[in-house]
Amino acid sequence: MTRKLLSDYGMLFVLLLLCVLFSVLTLKEQTPEGSTAAARLVEQIDKEFKKSDIILTVGAVNKDSALLAEKLGEELEKKGFGNTKVVIGVPRDLRLKLDDISKKGDRLAAIVTSGDVTKWGVIEQIPEKYPELSGCKMLAPKSYIWPDFLKRSNLLAIVDRIVVIALIAIGMTMVIITAGIDLSVGSLIALSAVIGTLLMKKMGGLHAPGWVVLVGFLAGILSCGLVGALGGLVVARFKVAPFITTLGIMMMARGLAFMITGGFSIYQVPKALPWLGQGYSLGIPNTVVLLVVLYVLAHIFMAHTRMGRYIYAVGGNEEAARLSGVPVKFVIVFVYIISSLAAGLGGCIQASQLNTGTPNIGMMYELYVIAAVVVGGTSLSGGSGRILGTLIGAFIISVIQNGMNLLGIESYTQQVVLGAVILGAVLLDKARSSGGLIAFLQKKMNF
Amino acid sequence: MNWKRIITWCVLGTVLVAFVSSCAKSPKYKGKIGVTCMDLTNPFFKLIANVMQEEAAKHGYEIVALSGELDPAKQNNQISDFVAQGYDAIFLNPVDSRAAGEGVKKAHEAGIPVFTYDVQVTDEEAKDMIVSHIGSDNYQGGLLAGESMMKVTGDQGRIAIITYPEVTSCILRINGFKDYLKKHNSKLVIVTELSGKGNRSDGYAVATDILTAHPDIVGIFAINDPSGLGAYSAVLKAGKTGQITIVAFDASPAGKQAVFERKLYDSPQQFPRKMARGTVEAFIKYLNGEDVPKKNFIPCAHYYYEDSVDDESRVTEQW
Repeated sequence: MTRKLLSDYGMLFVLLLLCVLFSVLTLKEQTPEGSTAAARLVEQIDKEFKKSDIILTVGAVNKDSALLAEKLGEELEKKGFGNTKVVIGVPRDLRLKLDDISKKGDRLAAIVTSGDVTKWGVIEQIPEKYPELSGCKMLAPKSYIWPDFLKRSNLLAIVDRIVVIALIAIGMTMVIITAGIDLSVGSLIALSAVIGTLLMKKMGGLHAPGWVVLVGFLAGILSCGLVGALGGLVVARFKVAPFITTLGIMMMARGLAFMITGGFSIYQVPKALPWLGQGYSLGIPNTVVLLVVLYVLAHIFMAHTRMGRYIYAVGGNEEAARLSGVPVKFVIVFVYIISSLAAGLGGCIQASQLNTGTPNIGMMYELYVIAAVVVGGTSLSGGSGRILGTLIGAFIISVIQNGMNLLGIESYTQQVVLGAVILGAVLLDKARSSGGLIAFLQKKMNF
Repeated sequence: MNWKRIITWCVLGTVLVAFVSSCAKSPKYKGKIGVTCMDLTNPFFKLIANVMQEEAAKHGYEIVALSGELDPAKQNNQISDFVAQGYDAIFLNPVDSRAAGEGVKKAHEAGIPVFTYDVQVTDEEAKDMIVSHIGSDNYQGGLLAGESMMKVTGDQGRIAIITYPEVTSCILRINGFKDYLKKHNSKLVIVTELSGKGNRSDGYAVATDILTAHPDIVGIFAINDPSGLGAYSAVLKAGKTGQITIVAFDASPAGKQAVFERKLYDSPQQFPRKMARGTVEAFIKYLNGEDVPKKNFIPCAHYYYEDSVDDESRVTEQW
């Protein structure tokens, strides 16, 4: 069982390895939040200070430290510290408060803060600017170590950045299994986003009801499907190489997207637009739900339906497939339609994430999608490949990009690393299938 | 099983190196600032990122500069990563003035201050979340270009414009240029307006076609130096350097040299160093609790042959 899993999804281990690597590399001091940290601080203050002392709790707006400051304020008030003041805001707010305190001539006993507030220049400058306040103590909760990579918000960001590429990769996997390729998907993202948002704009724009968004999305997705059907027909009927056919569509779709918008972004969109790409259902981001549902459906389709098996048959040996009664032409048109529909859906998600329709989105995405499919173990020569492998491939790419950003690696270096990792991952996969790295090298290089 | 051992060692090695390098930070280290700009392969933005790095280091901050690679979605992902990492500030040069709004909202929700430079965010909700913006006054620069064009052509004849309508700052330059002509009742006729995509090769191609269709033009206004220099190559090839004057924009190192060689008549100057310093300054002011101006526009200046002769920055190939 494990051996089968290993041979089927060897890339899973590469992914896990990357996750472990980035977790270790992004270990950082984190400021604690919530009630336990507050309770401990209150205890400390209760011991060290008199009830009449002026205590200032400071939090940065919208950050964990804001919650802490608020909580502290409440707790201290309950304990009988009547002179507790709470400041939640930007550095300027703290300065105004300090000005106020020093103007009144009050003596400040302690400032309680956490995390980033301690880095504010205002705090550092207290001894110079407010010499009368210099006697005050600085208190902060104890910090702990946890990787940035494994923060909930970051894990969601990883899914967020890859959802478009991962969805399109479903269609691309099918196309590549038939030994084809679809270069048009990146441009179709833009076309779908632009058609969808333009329709929404025409149907009422900012004040349009939610169903208009649905109509816009459907229009975007279906027009992409139409383009895909045309492309598939050209490939299947006229035997034009898929590379050339989709290259042509890629250019036309991009040009159309620019023509439709005149080069500008469409931003008069309904308020409901961000729901798909940024919203939550039952506490789970919609993008995650969509990703899971579509991958499960695609997996079942490819592994357990007749049509799914036909796709493999066409890619394995087209002539043999034809002779055994597989409707080859239909299968080919079908996969290009699926691929384009997926790209259309990707465009809708992207428009929703960006809350705009922009004709220059999705540039180069076709290459990332192809990379995800190939890293996921699908052969470019067709006939073999797995949908779930593609998902893993997409995540490998996303994790690398996210990890490098977290580590602050420069953009130029990032490209080199990403390219090298893609190449390395595929080599490793080849090595695994020929029984180990050493054996693979010996065989290939005639050591 | 040998390769597993190799991988293990590789990973351990990387971890070790990373730990050592992260321990070797300067003692005054305070935090990180995330920078994401349109395109780091453009020397203008690269220079800004470098100057920001120098300036921020003086205050104990480290700059992480990423390139949006002209992809709004990519740029928003980079902002998300800055947010996840809990950076102290984000300096943003939006690829798309509207789409960047979503990233700004995310940063704002996480309490991270965002400063924009060069290009503004125009999203209705997000634009109020920006702490401060600093940029060139592109419209005023366009006025300068219009002034030069009228002067050099003697306000007589037909001219062409090489645009880049995908970028807001370039649209503003064109608007300024046209408004200047209109306001001064110019007799110049704009025969065509085509996109040179802001780079040399497309500028060359489009200028070649313009010369084919309108061989009688007397001037070309190109929205930046690369497309202006591309246009110069086309004019040179057509043997019309005496007939056609080119006004570009930016006064980049290459542009300054071209002005000196009299290939370009004028290239209204932008001040990227001031922009970079101003952004870092605004952030420090913000930390110190001082009042930060919401908007700060740096006026452009003419850059003529006379300016270029003794210009040290031209010789040293600096902005």
